[in-house]
Amino acid sequence: MTGHIVVGYTATKTGRDAVAFAARLAARTGAVLDVAVILPGEGRSVITPPDASYDRLLREQARQWIAAAIDRIPADVVAHAHVRSADSFAEGLIAVADELAADYIVVGAADGGSRGRHRLGTTTSELLHSSDVPVALVPRGARKIAAEAGISRLTVAVGTRPGADALISDAEALARSTGAPVRLLSLLTVDLPPTADTAAIRIAGSTQADEVLEAAQTQLPEGMAADVVVAEGESIEDAVSRLEWLPGEVLLAGSSRLAQPRRLFLGSTAAKMLHEVPVPVIVVPRTRQQEGGEA
Amino acid sequence: MTSEAPAIPGEAVDGGLSKKGLSAGTVGLIGAVVIGISCIAPAYTLTAALGPTVSEVGFQVPAIILIGFIPMLLVAFGYRELNNRMPDAGTSFTWAARAFGPWVGWMAGWGLVSATILVLSNLAGIAVEFLFLLIDQLAGSPGTIAELAFDPFINVAVCLLFMLGATFVSYRDMQTTQKLQYFLVTFQVLVLLVFAIAAFVHTGAGSAFDASAVDLSWFNPFAVSSTAALVAGLSLSIFIFWGWDVTLTMNEETKNPEKTPGRAATLTVITIVTLYLLLSIALLSFAGIGDGELGLGNEDIQTNVFFYLSGPVLGPLAFLVSLAVLTSSASSLQSTFVSPARTLLSMGHYGALPPSFAKVSPRFFTPGYATIVASIVASAFYAVMRFISEDVLWDTITALGMMICFYYGITAFACVWYFRKQWFDSVRNVFFTLLFPLVGGLILAALFVLTLVDSMNPDYGSGSNIAGVGLVFILGVVVILLGVGIMIWQAITRPAFFRGETLSLDAPESLRRRKEAAR
Repeated sequence: MTGHIVVGYTATKTGRDAVAFAARLAARTGAVLDVAVILPGEGRSVITPPDASYDRLLREQARQWIAAAIDRIPADVVAHAHVRSADSFAEGLIAVADELAADYIVVGAADGGSRGRHRLGTTTSELLHSSDVPVALVPRGARKIAAEAGISRLTVAVGTRPGADALISDAEALARSTGAPVRLLSLLTVDLPPTADTAAIRIAGSTQADEVLEAAQTQLPEGMAADVVVAEGESIEDAVSRLEWLPGEVLLAGSSRLAQPRRLFLGSTAAKMLHEVPVPVIVVPRTRQQEGGEA
Repeated sequence: MTSEAPAIPGEAVDGGLSKKGLSAGTVGLIGAVVIGISCIAPAYTLTAALGPTVSEVGFQVPAIILIGFIPMLLVAFGYRELNNRMPDAGTSFTWAARAFGPWVGWMAGWGLVSATILVLSNLAGIAVEFLFLLIDQLAGSPGTIAELAFDPFINVAVCLLFMLGATFVSYRDMQTTQKLQYFLVTFQVLVLLVFAIAAFVHTGAGSAFDASAVDLSWFNPFAVSSTAALVAGLSLSIFIFWGWDVTLTMNEETKNPEKTPGRAATLTVITIVTLYLLLSIALLSFAGIGDGELGLGNEDIQTNVFFYLSGPVLGPLAFLVSLAVLTSSASSLQSTFVSPARTLLSMGHYGALPPSFAKVSPRFFTPGYATIVASIVASAFYAVMRFISEDVLWDTITALGMMICFYYGITAFACVWYFRKQWFDSVRNVFFTLLFPLVGGLILAALFVLTLVDSMNPDYGSGSNIAGVGLVFILGVVVILLGVGIMIWQAITRPAFFRGETLSLDAPESLRRRKEAAR
């Protein structure tokens, strides 16, 4: 892959987490890193008088921030800087990504999250609901992982319902370019009404999960070995928290079925998973062909 | 930054992509007028300045308003020239440093920052009084809740909360929607119009407090009793137009830099002057200048005349005035915060202050550190003043007028001196870079000196004094000496700026002479 990875950068720990992960991904895939700072658009200022010279000062500052961030990443990663004004962080990032035909947009957790955890802020939520490019969410503390860890494994959350073709093909492409092994994951939850016969659900659920995993496995090209794991728990959070993660691991999840074609939309399952997953999560749009089969 | 930068950031930054993100001007004519009016905040300004002005010049307030605009206009022309030639977030600080060197530049920056900090504390003080009045009016409990605003402890506590809120909003750069802001400004203007008309109706119907017939002499500045009164009145009227220059200096920010700023400034000033004249004439004819209960000469009501007059004039609709003053103070609080914060940031940037002042919040892109410092100083200042002076609002307004004269004056002279080699390049330059700013600067300098001398008198302004010396004088001198003190301290710890290493003296060459030389 010789594409582009766009990082939505802020000169905070969050931003450094995002850049650190994006650099690891770029180093493995050979992509160009595009570090972008999105400044507030001038048009939105209605109370404070706009001041073009202050805006110039901000852009200069943003360039320095980016230069300092680029200094921190390994020397073999090619990085470019982008400073632009937009009405919102998400809008600016998507515009940069579209212009570069980028493969991923990488952003950090919102401020206030604890170490190793994801936290969705308003800007990341907006991004997750409007991007047509896969979005990688980076948890707090990702910058502490050594650059040499690379991308150690791809875990693909295939869910329990069919219709994950696009996700599988994206996972396959990413596995190919990073050389990382794949782990297929299905979550089995027992979060149905307590009146239901849990044993029956478990059997039914587990059969279904196995089927889905099997289908997913057959989609992977031959020669690409994949581990299969079914995580069980009383809730999604519970199930996810029992999984083991490698340093440098990445989770791939599909966008919700509610999303418009080619747009992202974070589903409730994925949102719940985010609470517990300590590794970066890449949310990919469920693209074109799958619309018919699942409604 | 290490030397082994892996990429070529400089190149990419200047590449086509990032340039596209730079929007050209986005402000249209209406937008500029709205920003101008909300920066001046006429509802707040008039309620704070009308009383003190009446106490100085009596019925001649309209005359003072009209001639007070002249130095403001002249200086604003100089502002515009400087802003076009070297746009910089540090405005007066940077310009004065370029023209006169680091020491004068530092003091100009200090003047701007201290003037805005004075007005911030006054704004918050007015907002508190109107908040209590509004609650009082809505709850229908005549006077009991409004009285609470005058308990110094409650007053200071609520005022600090206001400042905290304003700091938070400024730090995070939260903006209302354009529609809401347009609505608020329209509302403010309409309420003031209604207020003025209602006062005239009362006067006509004979139900006014102290009906006084409008007289041509109200417009005659020579009818003012003494020169000292004229000076004091002018110094106050400088304050009521303060903020107007924003429309004139918006240049590359506008959609049409050739025409928008000039038109916006004209429209804004016509609106503002009309409003000021209408309201001051209306209230003068309604209440007179006697010292009776509602008379504008009554010292007890002078610091906040709308507070006392809105009820008698508008009856049940008086809460509209409270609402207009509150919203106008709130948005003015936010727009005012920007200016000291950006100047402090610029001073930090050029090494005139510790580098932490130059910090930009990486999340909100505001001068975070400078904003917080400005807020803490303004809050502390208000709290102390509230306990020292019986008439804190009055004294801060007067001291403010003086500080505005100080730094505007320096800025005007900076314009004259900076363009000294271009004065005679064209007829236009003779006026805009020499005559206008020079005359404006001289008027402001004279006002500054005369106010300073007069304010030594313990009876000056509100009559607050310490050991027989007028509080306004003490305020002005302390603020300036404090500035000198901090400047010397900075010169010792951070000499680079004061040696002119970060911001050098400059004077653009004459274009005409260069052309002649080329021939």
